[in-house]
Amino acid sequence: MSALLDPRQAQAFRFVRCTYHDGEAQLVYAFDNGSELIERIGFPDAPALPAERKPAFAAALRLLHLIAGVSYYKAGVPNEIAIEGEPLDAGLAQFMDTVYTHGLAEFAYHNKVDLRGRIRFPRHDNATQPPATRVNLPRRTLVPIGGGKDSLVSVEMLKRVNEPMSAVWVGDSALIASCAQRTGLPTLNLKRRLAPELFEYNRLGAYNGHIPVTAINSAILICAAILYGFDAIAFSNEASASAATLEYDGQPVNHQWSKSLDFERGLREYTKSHIAADLDYFSVLRPWSELAVTRAFAHGVQYDGVFSSCNRNFRIRGEKPADRWCGQCPKCHFVFLALAPFVAKPRLLAIFGRNLLDDAALAPGFDALLEYREHKPFECVGEGRESRAAMQALSLRPEWREDALVARFAEEIAPQLGADELALAPLLTPSATHFLPFRLQGLLHAHA
Amino acid sequence: MSDQPAASWIVLKFGGTSVSTRAHWDKIAAIARAWRERGKQVLIVVSALSGITDQLKVLTEAHADAPRRAIRDAIVARHESMFAEMQLADRAPLQYWLERLDALVANARAEAGGLPWQAEVLALGEQLSSTLGVTCLNRLNLAAQWLDAREHLHAQPLPNQNAWGRYLSASVPAAPDPVFAQALAARGGLFVTQGFMARNAQGETVILGRGGSDTSASYFGALLKAEKVEIWTDVAGMFSANPRQVPNARLLARLDYEEAQEIATTGAKVLHPRCINPVREARVPLAIRDTNFPELPGTEIGAVAPDAAPSVKAISSRGGITLISMESIGMWQQVGFLADVFEHFKRHGLSIDLVGTSETNVTVSLDPTENLVNSDVLSALCADLAKVCRVKVIAPCAAITLVGRGMRSMLHKLSGVLAEFGAQRVHLISQSSNNLNLTFVVDEVIAADLVPTLHDLLIRAEAMRVEDAAVFGPRWRDLYKKEQSARAESWWIARRAELLALAEARTPCYVYDLATVRARAQALRTISPVDRWFYAIKANAHPALLKEIATQGFGLECVSPGELERAVQVAPEATRLFTPNFAPRAEYAAARAGGVALTLDNLHPFERWGEDFSGHEIFLRLDLGAGRGHHDKVKTGAQSKFGLALDELDEFRRLAHRHGVRIAGLHAHLGSGILDAAHWKDVYVQLASLGEKIGSVRVLNIGGGLGVPARGDEISLDLAALGGALAEVKAAYPQFELWAEPGRYLVADAGVILARVTQTKRKGDTRYVGCDAGMNSLIRPALYEAYHEIVNLTRMYAAPAEPVQVVGPICESGDVLGNNRRLPPTCEGDVLLIAQAGAYGAAMASHYNLREPAGEVIL
Repeated sequence: MSALLDPRQAQAFRFVRCTYHDGEAQLVYAFDNGSELIERIGFPDAPALPAERKPAFAAALRLLHLIAGVSYYKAGVPNEIAIEGEPLDAGLAQFMDTVYTHGLAEFAYHNKVDLRGRIRFPRHDNATQPPATRVNLPRRTLVPIGGGKDSLVSVEMLKRVNEPMSAVWVGDSALIASCAQRTGLPTLNLKRRLAPELFEYNRLGAYNGHIPVTAINSAILICAAILYGFDAIAFSNEASASAATLEYDGQPVNHQWSKSLDFERGLREYTKSHIAADLDYFSVLRPWSELAVTRAFAHGVQYDGVFSSCNRNFRIRGEKPADRWCGQCPKCHFVFLALAPFVAKPRLLAIFGRNLLDDAALAPGFDALLEYREHKPFECVGEGRESRAAMQALSLRPEWREDALVARFAEEIAPQLGADELALAPLLTPSATHFLPFRLQGLLHAHA
Repeated sequence: MSDQPAASWIVLKFGGTSVSTRAHWDKIAAIARAWRERGKQVLIVVSALSGITDQLKVLTEAHADAPRRAIRDAIVARHESMFAEMQLADRAPLQYWLERLDALVANARAEAGGLPWQAEVLALGEQLSSTLGVTCLNRLNLAAQWLDAREHLHAQPLPNQNAWGRYLSASVPAAPDPVFAQALAARGGLFVTQGFMARNAQGETVILGRGGSDTSASYFGALLKAEKVEIWTDVAGMFSANPRQVPNARLLARLDYEEAQEIATTGAKVLHPRCINPVREARVPLAIRDTNFPELPGTEIGAVAPDAAPSVKAISSRGGITLISMESIGMWQQVGFLADVFEHFKRHGLSIDLVGTSETNVTVSLDPTENLVNSDVLSALCADLAKVCRVKVIAPCAAITLVGRGMRSMLHKLSGVLAEFGAQRVHLISQSSNNLNLTFVVDEVIAADLVPTLHDLLIRAEAMRVEDAAVFGPRWRDLYKKEQSARAESWWIARRAELLALAEARTPCYVYDLATVRARAQALRTISPVDRWFYAIKANAHPALLKEIATQGFGLECVSPGELERAVQVAPEATRLFTPNFAPRAEYAAARAGGVALTLDNLHPFERWGEDFSGHEIFLRLDLGAGRGHHDKVKTGAQSKFGLALDELDEFRRLAHRHGVRIAGLHAHLGSGILDAAHWKDVYVQLASLGEKIGSVRVLNIGGGLGVPARGDEISLDLAALGGALAEVKAAYPQFELWAEPGRYLVADAGVILARVTQTKRKGDTRYVGCDAGMNSLIRPALYEAYHEIVNLTRMYAAPAEPVQVVGPICESGDVLGNNRRLPPTCEGDVLLIAQAGAYGAAMASHYNLREPAGEVIL
């Protein structure tokens, strides 16, 4: 293999080809005429693809190829994007422009790279993608499990309406595997292996940073749904995921953009119109805030000892709470705070193994969640008003109000805020903005 | 009184697993037969077959006929299969109780699920198992009779006891009843009865609640004024700590009732605390025995031995403790404040355990009850308390309790133990006037690591007097984990003659065995997740050792220009790392010029001489402890001079970026002598999650510190377990190369010191053996209180005599190589061997007193 060149010097990023054979998809990319970068997606025990689903699968694989390219593209951010083989029509090219531009907004902010005008997928006016048809997908749902509270809440909600489903996850994570097992559902573990050259690029000083990983996982699951036969993919993204983390240079930067309603709308429409007319993609939790979801999580105790939303470690399963919750990252802080109003204090402390709100050293972390003096962290956490409302609720509770950070909030921060900014109840009502299929809309009433 | 000799009763109790197979009943029969042969009357108390009581409980909670029937079917099937397995013939007695089950399931009361009905259902498990048991013993030609426990155990309600407690957690006043004991003896010599149940004054069946079968045995022991009550279970008895936390925990051969009660209450699960009081009142001894190892004596619980020396008997910890701290300035001399406060706890049904008070503060502890965790009772309690004082909830905590009679007379021995607590947040200390316990309430997160350390410290401080064989039995792991404790025999045993010959020529002298070094290196190389191994040459830079280790494929980790130079001379082909600490600027430049990978652990080099590193890659040593605020114990890392604090990582990266330096690897080093594989996994995971956010990182170096057991009671590091733990992380983070850099592990066991005895002496009660090796040759005992095994090589197989202090010739009172060593009677001219001296021995030697340190010889 020739020595790798710094991708930041490249002129073009090339989508070379994508293939599928015997349970493995290969997604191939390159910078200029450099080494081929091959990402492999494994579909274990993949059944043979029925003839009627072949066009749908090909369309899904192509979409995956385009979306997954973002991991490699970002290493160099060259000026040109080249598509080899079938050209894109205007609609798909436009969608990909959106996915890359918004999905890499945080990356661009951190690396001080201006993406405007740079990301433009080539399009061919004459190119037409055939409209999607129904491909007889069986009536059952793929529920991606992330190891955190959200997907577990979705699973329990869907169980209540007797939805047939499988728990699915991408990659090797003992923590997610143990959560999936605890759901009692059939499980499906898809594999993903990045091109090893990407790590080499990183060592050579390539650009690195946040990518829209939920977009990639969504595209993988669309392939899986067609291959294994599922007519719905139910993610667990809340209303809060649509809120921007900050604005930079006039552009909204949302860490969770690929969990937002915008992305969900774009992908579900493209899927129905160009991949499989009977495949639905939506988020179960879209009508609700993070706080409403933590409240729902509080109803059952069966996941207390296995789940973790901590970002420090989402792969290694640990027996002790400190193995699953680092206590230092924004996710730990937020989930602790958001559960606190709804879970008996001893239970919450048993989940985390310690009391994060009584540790004065963690004040800056919680300030960021409250958007007090700091902007919201670049993490999948709830909105500032949710954190403020949760903190306010705790400051009224005798078992919490003497804890260092709650007392500090009551003395120092709450007086600067209006009462309307602190109310919890309005944050718990479901919103009407969601794509829940008709068969699941009963959840909106049952859940409250 | 009758003039007959008093009947002599033995009460044997067997738990669920002990009555659930035919093979176990054979053992029960053998135990009962042995007592009968010694002329004793025997009463056997049994639990239900394992799992049956839980099923019956679910049955009582089911709210429909169908699930009740399903459970009924499962219970019937289980007993049918047991009946078949035991090859029994007489079905009628079993049939009676199975029909009784049918009747209760079909009973009109089932739907309402009232307490009397529940009690009858729950009692069936023991009625069934005792029936099977009698039939089985009879078949084995033991004349056993079935005894209805309810005929003899009469429950009485406690003051304020609610209906639930009266039916499902009943108590029985049990005082010796010689008339009953004689009458029963007149009926026969062997009975089987049921644990867990009694009868109330109305003639209804009631249940004794948790630990009920042990309590039944205890009640019967008291009623019969038995010679002994034996609780047969699946563990040999009570231990000096929870063996799952402390494999070195000692079996407690003998306890008094109060100590046993305290240990049972503060953590040990083997015996329910309730069952001690009846036998204590009646002065009946109680023993715990292991059904699988009937040859073990177990734990004997009885009255205080008059000659008992004070000793800590056990250390226990209970997690999930919630402290409620109540602060009030109005409390001082205010009549009834405590009564008012405690009234709130009573009203919310919360039972207080520990209490600590001062003039303005009362702090109490609550045990983790289901109620506390799964309801909002704590919230309601705090709301009420907040009306009279300031409330603060401190949780999750663990209560660590030292148990032993005469605790206050041992305080002076506990300084090391107290020092260990000193670094932690202790929220409450409690010591009751019965002088049996001392409890520390700490953050729960530290308890699991703290207990084994404290257990060890208690032994070293001789506060836990494990040499007293009357009280302390074998270690748990010697009883149950024999395979783990086997340590390879030291190499020098086989080569004794050669070593003695060597000592003729010169002493003191270090002797190194290269084969041991090679074996250690090869053993490490089998840990496949580690991609590259380095030897930390500061442990021992002897050229022959370096060469051997390099030959085994190890790189060399150096901390000074001198070490680098040695590495180049001896093994020029080996990869070198330079990991200095507070080194001058020129050393980095020189090392870099020699093509050596550099490790930085401070901002200073970047801030002041960043240009020196431009365009190069470096490794970064982190102090993972300093940033992990949740874990006070690791915060002590912040007090060490090594490593970059995590909160400076962003600044370090910014400076690296500014100077065009790539951070190619992250490195952390835990400490030394670590014998638990989980620690490296932890470091590895932390480095991986940090490395993932730094694109340029390709290597994670988890350092060294692999422990070498020194004392007989330490377990060797389990390399297979270490490999497994690392492999799990490697699978999750395959993009990183994993490096490790052991030092001591490779060479410690390979080296010994041979020293010649110079003089012996007795001063007061202390005996000294002096030798020609001193702290100028081996400073570890003085510097780190390190333990080195010492043997008299000349008289290796002679019986040991009184303990001696082994000392060197240096004019320094700290020149002690070993305390209280049991050597055979030792004379001038004998050769002593000081083991495990291969690491940090010669490397740290000095010419103090202008005395030449021990030379070095390679075998």
